[in-house]
Amino acid sequence: MWRRLAVIADMLLLVPVLAAEALRPEKTIILPTDVVIRFTAISPAGTFVAGICRDQKLRLWDVSAGSLSRTLDLGGERLTSVRFSDDGQLVALGGAKGGVRIWELPSATLKLEFTNPSEVNALAISRDRKLVAAAPLEEAVEVWDLSSAKQVAKMRAPFSGTSALAFSPDSHWLATADGDTSIRLYDARTGKLRNSVDDLLLESFAIVFSTDGKYILTGGADKVVNLIDASSGKVLRSLAKQDDVLLDLRQSRDGKRLVAAYVNADDPSKASPVVIWDLETQSPRTRILEPGVVPNGGEFLLDGRLLMTSGSEKELKIWSVSP
Amino acid sequence: MLDSSGLSRREVLQKCVALGSITLIASQSSAAMLLAFEEKELHKPTPPNELGPFYKKRAPQTAMLRAAGDPGMPLSVSGQILDTRGEKLPNVVVEVWQTDHLGHYDLDGYRYRAKLPADGSGNYKFESVMPGHYPDRVCQHIHYLVTAPGHKPLVTQLYFATDPVFEGDPDKNFNRDPLIHSRELVRPVMLVGDPKDIHAAVNFELCLERV
Repeated sequence: MWRRLAVIADMLLLVPVLAAEALRPEKTIILPTDVVIRFTAISPAGTFVAGICRDQKLRLWDVSAGSLSRTLDLGGERLTSVRFSDDGQLVALGGAKGGVRIWELPSATLKLEFTNPSEVNALAISRDRKLVAAAPLEEAVEVWDLSSAKQVAKMRAPFSGTSALAFSPDSHWLATADGDTSIRLYDARTGKLRNSVDDLLLESFAIVFSTDGKYILTGGADKVVNLIDASSGKVLRSLAKQDDVLLDLRQSRDGKRLVAAYVNADDPSKASPVVIWDLETQSPRTRILEPGVVPNGGEFLLDGRLLMTSGSEKELKIWSVSP
Repeated sequence: MLDSSGLSRREVLQKCVALGSITLIASQSSAAMLLAFEEKELHKPTPPNELGPFYKKRAPQTAMLRAAGDPGMPLSVSGQILDTRGEKLPNVVVEVWQTDHLGHYDLDGYRYRAKLPADGSGNYKFESVMPGHYPDRVCQHIHYLVTAPGHKPLVTQLYFATDPVFEGDPDKNFNRDPLIHSRELVRPVMLVGDPKDIHAAVNFELCLERV
C-alpha cells in the first residue's frame, strides 16, 4: 500500500509527519542502521508487516514479537509491488524488471515465479489463493494459476497499462483500473471481458470489491471514491471530492469502512491525509493528518482492526487506528 | 531510399526484373514483388513512452492551449504524422496534455489539454506554453496519445533539448530522466519572433506502426 507515497519519500527523504487522536501505538520495530524502508504491506491476518527496503529486500517482521522473521528478494531487482493474500498465507512481490515471486507463509516456501515484460505496477491474489494477477507497466495484465504454474489469461487495455487490480470475493472476476481511465471487469480465468466502465474521465489508482462482490470501489486522479455496480458497470455514486489525488483503498471486512490514502498532485512532498470513510453515511469518519508520522502502509485485519505503519529509518512504528 | 549506386530500391528492382537477373517465383508476378517491396518499412515508429498518471478523457478539440495573458514562454509545436512507409496519415487523432509553466496539471478542468483537429493531410500544430517541471518528474515534457485507423495507438512524450536538466548536452544527458529511453524524443527548440515577442518552436514528427 502507498507505494507512490513511498516513491516520493524516496526522493525527498520526508520529514516525519502523521498521528492523531485516532492513532494508538501498537509496536515499534527498531531497524538496523543500514535498513531504510520505502513502503510496507501488512498481512490481513495481522501476523507480519512486510517492509520494502531500499536495499531491494523485502523484510518480514513478526508483528507480535516485533522481530525480523524472513528476508526475501527478487535476486537484486528493484522492488516495486507487494501484496498479501486475504488470509495472509501468501505474499507476492514484483520488481522493476518484471520479476514476480509468490511465497507461502510462514515457511517462506517459493510457490511460483514468473517474469512480466516490464516493471510490475500492481499485484493481486485471489481469495481462494489459486490465482495471482500482475500488471506490468504499459503492458497486458497477466493471470497465473498457482497450482499449475501456468499463465491462464491476459488482459490488454486498448492503450497503456493497468494501475490497480482486484479479484472479486468469489475469485471469479478480476477488475482492472486502466491507464485509458476505464475500469474493466474480466473473467479471471478466461480473460473474457464482462463489462467496461467508460464514464470516468481520469485514471483510477486504487480499486477494491465490496465484501459482497456486488460493487467495485475506485479512486484516483479525480479525487473521489466511485461506487460502481459490478454487474451493470454503471457508476452509481461518488463520495465527496477531496483536495488530493487518491492513491490507495482498503475496505473493512464488515464492509462499513473504507480507508483511503491521498497525495497532493501539485506537490507530492506535502503531507496529505489518510481518510477513513463511513460507507453507511458516505461521509468521512476520521481524517488523519498531523505532524509526527508519515504513513507508509496500512491494512484492515481479519479481526476488524485497522493497522497503519510509519517511519522509514531507525524505527518502524505500527499504529492501531480507532474505528 | 538510395543504394550505393544512387538508384532507389524500386529502380534497382525494376532493372533487375527487366534484365532477368532475378528469377521470379512462379506464383509471384513482378507487380506482386514490387508491392511486397513497397511494403517494406522505411521509417522507424516513434518510440513509445509512458502514459503517465494524468491523462484525461474528452479533452476539448482545439489547437490553442494557452489563453491570452498566460504566463510562461509561448510555445508552438508542429509536425507530420506518418506511417512506417513514410505516408502521411490523414485520419489521425492527436491528444496532448501537459503542465502549466509552473509544473501543475489541471485535474479539475482541461487547461493545457486538447484533442487536436486533424487537418486531413497528416500535419498537426498547436499553441501552448513551455511546460514547467512537474515535481515528481525530472524533465519538462508534453504527453501524446496518437490514434489512427489500422495503426497501433502511440503513447509517447515530447522533451526539449533546452531543458536545463540536460545542461546543453542532450546527447550525453538525455537519460538523466529515467523515463527517457530514447534520445529521439528530445527535440531541438527554436527561438523565433522579434526580441519583444519571442516564442519557442518545436517540430515533432510522429510515426505510427501498422496493426
